Amino acid sequence: MAEAAAAPQVFTRRASGLVRVMSPYSAFIYNVLTMGIIFPWTYVWAPTALEGSNLVLGIVFAFVFELPIALAYVWLATSMPRSGGDYVFQSRVFGGGFGFTVVFAFFVVWILQWVALSGWLLATLGIAPTFIGLGVTTGVGAFTDIGTWAASTTGIIVISIVNALAALVLLVTGFRNYVRFQYVMWYAILISFGIVLLLFLLNDPASATAKLDTFAGEVNGVQGFFETARAAAAEAGVNFDPPFWLLGTLLVAPIAWTSLQWATYSSEQGGEIKNANVFRSQVFIIVGSLTLTAGLLILLAVAMQKGIGEDGILVASSGYWYGVAEATIGGNVMFPNLMAMGLTGSWIVVLLIGIGFILNSFQIVCNCYIGTTRIMVAQGLDGLLPDWFARVHPRWKTPVNAHIAYFLAALPVIWGFNMVGEWARWTLGVTFANGAVMTLSALAAALLPYRARKVYEASPGAAYTVGSVPLVTVVGLLGFVFGSFMVGSFLFREELGLAYTGDAVPYYIVLGTAVFGLLVYFVMRQVRASAGLKVEYAFREIPPE
Amino acid sequence: MPLFSKKEKEKATRLFYACDIHGSEPTYRKFLNAAKFYEVDALVFGGDLMGKLLIPMVREAGGTWRARLQGQSHHIKSEEELAEFKLTMQTLGFYWQEMDPEEYASYEGQQDRIDDLFDVLAKERLAQWVTLAEERLADTPVHVYLCGGNDDTDEVLSALDETTTDRVVNAENRVVPLDDEHELLTIGYSTPTPWETPRERTDEEIGEVIEKLMPSVSDPAKTVFNFHCPPLDSGLDTCLKLDASVWPPKPVIERGQPVHYGAGSQAVADALANHQPTVGLHGHIHESRGATKYGRTPAFNPGSEYGEGVLRGLIVAIRGGEVIGHQFTSG
Repeated sequence: MAEAAAAPQVFTRRASGLVRVMSPYSAFIYNVLTMGIIFPWTYVWAPTALEGSNLVLGIVFAFVFELPIALAYVWLATSMPRSGGDYVFQSRVFGGGFGFTVVFAFFVVWILQWVALSGWLLATLGIAPTFIGLGVTTGVGAFTDIGTWAASTTGIIVISIVNALAALVLLVTGFRNYVRFQYVMWYAILISFGIVLLLFLLNDPASATAKLDTFAGEVNGVQGFFETARAAAAEAGVNFDPPFWLLGTLLVAPIAWTSLQWATYSSEQGGEIKNANVFRSQVFIIVGSLTLTAGLLILLAVAMQKGIGEDGILVASSGYWYGVAEATIGGNVMFPNLMAMGLTGSWIVVLLIGIGFILNSFQIVCNCYIGTTRIMVAQGLDGLLPDWFARVHPRWKTPVNAHIAYFLAALPVIWGFNMVGEWARWTLGVTFANGAVMTLSALAAALLPYRARKVYEASPGAAYTVGSVPLVTVVGLLGFVFGSFMVGSFLFREELGLAYTGDAVPYYIVLGTAVFGLLVYFVMRQVRASAGLKVEYAFREIPPE
Repeated sequence: MPLFSKKEKEKATRLFYACDIHGSEPTYRKFLNAAKFYEVDALVFGGDLMGKLLIPMVREAGGTWRARLQGQSHHIKSEEELAEFKLTMQTLGFYWQEMDPEEYASYEGQQDRIDDLFDVLAKERLAQWVTLAEERLADTPVHVYLCGGNDDTDEVLSALDETTTDRVVNAENRVVPLDDEHELLTIGYSTPTPWETPRERTDEEIGEVIEKLMPSVSDPAKTVFNFHCPPLDSGLDTCLKLDASVWPPKPVIERGQPVHYGAGSQAVADALANHQPTVGLHGHIHESRGATKYGRTPAFNPGSEYGEGVLRGLIVAIRGGEVIGHQFTSG
């Protein structure tokens, strides 16, 4: 009887297909890399756009808001381990037309903007500060000239195109090549980030100001850089002693979320035999990597407060938010890595910082391709995009057509982003669009037990309930609410994006991309129907009875 | 290309192909219902019918049962709970056996006895499936072509031979007519796997089996190759590379990422390239849904999500030895 009280072990065949659970560490790394620890916006956007906000607390809020979204993805990924991806998650729960439209419009189309942005980051956050820093520390004027060119419009466009092309070549010639390169990127970025942290921690506002004066003096040819910048910032409207603002602090969360939201981008899980270990492992990976990344972002905020003080942070931010020219160095906004370069006299340290940021910028464009081409292949196989997109190169075994299409589509976006004055304002919807996909996937997770009951009940996550309510419904709903707050903030708060422009064009563009996605769906449905094929077969469940 | 050309009078044959359902009852029922749902002329199954786990349900006092599923302990207290539990197991493709504690204890450490029990339960289920197919398709012209895969034992597959029906065709290792002009050539073996499955063969042996059957084919160009094992390095055979020196095998990680590789068969790739059949239909690697081409011959793997109760499949329309349309499905 005592033996019967313990649950009996399962009988397996040798041909069970059982696979030992992967070490969480490997997925951990990729997730941290994907979350963009180098994204500077939290530190240069929030302080003056949201005066009185507390950066550290804002990042904590972002972590808390992202947590249920990330957990919702664990349920989705372990319920549907073969398919992977928001396209299938949302199609299963909301229907194929919805899933296709949302993911095609708000990921595939809008992530083209990220291709342009990653080129911009590479140029202005990576190459420009690195060469400017090298110019100052080595005294070689040509380096400074290169850095200045890299931050110019022409420089950014050229660098962006080369960036996108290099990623294309690396990825189409085999994913293994990318994996080898990513391994190098991981360590380079950690070292670079670590050095930036250390430089801030080893300084204080007085010493930092003096060093930045010297650095800016070499680059800008001006004296008393910091004093001048501070005065200009004050004149532009920056309040250097704002009272604490709780709502403002909450609104820092969406900005920090532009990094942390990508915790779910790589959630894929291959599982032949689903089991609780796999589920628990995924929780560890996602929550673990999210916690580490949030921790690193917080550390940087604390380090900057220690190193350059609140005044320094506000001055740097004024160059970004108010466009105060005096608060830039060599035409570059004082992003954290540029300031860190100004705090060192060593060209080796400058190079190490620069390489890390250059590589993380390149990582971002790779991520753009990896995620969106997988979506396009899946949609091509389902008949919702032309078959051409799903074709695989016979030798390299990669979806080379989808990659090429994405590169070509990115070219006009790169041009527009840098050449069309209003482009950045019009396309502020990028922050909303990407976040909307994840928010809707959180809702899909919440509804999974009700809209895809059999899929849910066959999953290891079905064991977890709060009373009679599936736990996935609780975390999914929480994630949807928090996600809605954040995407809603991007839509309607002046400080955070679309509403800042004061006109309706950005909203029309967001709506327009959704309509475009819907149009593609209906056109493809019609094209397939004329060939006797029904795209609904890619989604519609056959009744078993 | 249109399925029905205005100029051509001859009707295309529409097949529905699925594979790797591994004992999942609802998925198999969907497979049978696919004939009507997708309006096809034939159902072709690509192998791997047997489930992978057997759940002992140990009886306890008071008419209750105790079992373990997905790493969780379950104490089943009512017939209603039992029915729900069995439904979940059916979806996952598992077998179950109610037993007393003494009977359970007698199985512990007795792999041969456990394997025999697997065979008994799997054969029972397959026989029931054949009967179900006959019932569901009785008033239709649709035939269902069944075969085993590498995961299936010969003992279980003997149920296909032992049950004679009008609608169910045992396609295993033979050439059978598909319609008036096309034939179906089926081979359920795979190349070696880390799990030493019952029906693995070396690549050379698979090639020999193919070439031994080819003389039975009337016209290779009008033959559908139903080969469970996909062609090597085709994109239809991409899976995790596993280190089989440990049990269970573990994914090989290099530079922080799991390594993927092609686990298919060169002999199958050569057969597609050399014989240029109408189409190649493949399974075996559940996560490798895709399409490719060998000369004029398209090859497909619809993938499998049997564990979620989802039937991944492929509709293929053929006429005159050509594929005139295809559609991946998810039902």
